[in-house]
Amino acid sequence: MSVPAVEVRNLTKVFPLSLRKEYLVAVEDLSLTVNAGEVYGLIGPNGSGKSTTMKVVLGLMAPTTGSTKVFGIESRDVRSRNQIGFLPENPYFYKHLTAWETLKFYGKLCGMRGKELKDRAGELLALVDLEGARDRRLSGYSKGMLQRIGLAQALIQRPKLVVLDEPTAGVDPIGSRQIRDLIFKLKDDGISVFLCSHLLEQVQEVCDQVGIIANGRMWREGSLHDLIAIEDQTELVLRDASPELLDKIKALIESEAGGCAELIRSGHPRTTLETLFLDIVRESREAQDLKDREKLAAKEAKKQKPSSK
Amino acid sequence: MSDSVETLPRVPLFSPGRIWVLASSTFTQLVRMRTFYFLIVFAILVAAASNLDLLYTPAQKLRILKDASFGAMSIFSWLFAIAATAVLIPRDLEDRTLYTILSKPVPRLEYLLGKLGGVMLTIGVALVVMQVLFTGFLFFREVTVLASERQYLESQGEMSAADIQVQLDLIRAQGVQWQLLYALVAIFLKASVVAALTMLVSTFASSTLFTMIVSSIVFMVGHFHKLAAGYWLEEFGDSLFTKLIIKPIVMIIPDFRVFNVAENVVGGEPVSAAIMLSLTGLAALYVAVYSAVALYLFIDKEF
Ligand SMILES: Nc1ncnc2c1ncn2[C@@H]1O[C@H](COP(=O)(O)OP(=O)(O)OP(=O)(O)O)[C@@H](O)[C@H]1O
Ligand SMILES: [Mg+2]
Repeated sequence: MSVPAVEVRNLTKVFPLSLRKEYLVAVEDLSLTVNAGEVYGLIGPNGSGKSTTMKVVLGLMAPTTGSTKVFGIESRDVRSRNQIGFLPENPYFYKHLTAWETLKFYGKLCGMRGKELKDRAGELLALVDLEGARDRRLSGYSKGMLQRIGLAQALIQRPKLVVLDEPTAGVDPIGSRQIRDLIFKLKDDGISVFLCSHLLEQVQEVCDQVGIIANGRMWREGSLHDLIAIEDQTELVLRDASPELLDKIKALIESEAGGCAELIRSGHPRTTLETLFLDIVRESREAQDLKDREKLAAKEAKKQKPSSK
Repeated sequence: MSDSVETLPRVPLFSPGRIWVLASSTFTQLVRMRTFYFLIVFAILVAAASNLDLLYTPAQKLRILKDASFGAMSIFSWLFAIAATAVLIPRDLEDRTLYTILSKPVPRLEYLLGKLGGVMLTIGVALVVMQVLFTGFLFFREVTVLASERQYLESQGEMSAADIQVQLDLIRAQGVQWQLLYALVAIFLKASVVAALTMLVSTFASSTLFTMIVSSIVFMVGHFHKLAAGYWLEEFGDSLFTKLIIKPIVMIIPDFRVFNVAENVVGGEPVSAAIMLSLTGLAALYVAVYSAVALYLFIDKEF
């Protein structure tokens, strides 16, 4: 078995809030694995801890407890970064550099030089469709263009793992489609992708594995296929079935002893990722409300004790 | 399982090449921020100072040019060291450029040294340009002053040729001399220490303004704390106050006055190579210590 691209074990990340002695638990006991060569999509509402998880994986933040590894190397080890390409959310780069200079800068940081670097930079500019803007300074770039150069920058040293924080944010539909195709291409090349996105339709399209997080906790995880299948239903897919055959099958079901099986419909018995997502968010909100109410009740109880003395 | 660790290319623990990439990119950044426009201001200032025809002796005319030039170079260098260094790291953080840099195999020490190196490189280049400019002006000024003085003295006809030579040598002593380079080096060393200090402050400061203010205060304190410490020691002796407050301050903050070699050079006092060597050592020590503390604060910083 090969080493997983990303391994997050029982990660908890707590931020101290500067006011009083309060803490914010951004990620709580989160575990996930991105297997080599797989596309993993992390989805969750705003503020659920997706970016925080990614930053810990990249070593930009230290875990409060738990551990994260990239290809078996602890995230805090600089060497783990050799194989990573990262696109942060809403990326900005040195405004004074042109696209070409930007790619060369990041390539050099990865130890690339000379012709190898030039060829790669040219290749990537073509890939993200920025050849026409190659010599323009990034200060004049639009949001989607920055996103594209960010993607190119992430891929410069041919990393084995690409971490994308909302790769399609602010990109037009055509660009968004191109990014989707690019992710397919990365997957074909055996590159692992760890991404988060709010475009569920796209996640559904490109991801092999999906994790749904809310309030910093993993609520559901698994292969996309399993996640959106409805478990107590079975699907028969027939090609060129004659009406007679279908009638026979119907009759067979009805004649079944006990008669508890029932034909509901024929077609696609699948939910969409979006429906699942909304269900889970609702579930997590309710859990959070309950927690909050308990906390409040505990506080009230505390308050009342000393006054009763 | 273990194969992937070995097959990964090793990241050298310390790579001067990467530091150079970061430093040169910082240099480009500062240059494209149009900081070198200051050089035009400097050129105008030097031209004005060299054409100043007040009622000075010939030697004084040269001296005023040196004074003005070194003064401007010194102010530019420490002001630039504080302002540029204070802006650089917070800007990277705000723009999230830092994320993309640190998510490449770049150790944080190299990032800090790259930024500091870039500021020092910019100051160094600017100082050399200014030095060349003003040495050129000084040279022409020297030639013309010498010529007119020789003419004047000879027309008076009161001095022997040897005496005139003595007079002219006095003027030459205020002209272009190797010692001018010492002043340049000392200004650069001082600015480097200030830049390292500012970088240290910016690793824990919450805003650019705070960094600039704190660094400026420390810089000013560094100009009189030795004097003040002497006074306090005399007044209060070895009290708790001197032990806990004065002595640590004197230790942590360098005595910036020792870098004022330019004053001696302009005054015509010779500065020995040994002094320059020890100044360089002192500056290197402070830069190293400040960088080490900065790294200590920066290495576990979260973004
Ligand atoms: N540096 C920080 N200091 C304090 N709190 C933080 C910090 N970074 C993130 N948080 C908090 O942690 C929680 C998770 O944030 P995170 O950025 O991971 O969310 P996200 O899932 O990426 O959301 P989005 O979809 O909006 O990008 C949020 O409540 C956020 O306010
Ligand atoms: Mg986010």
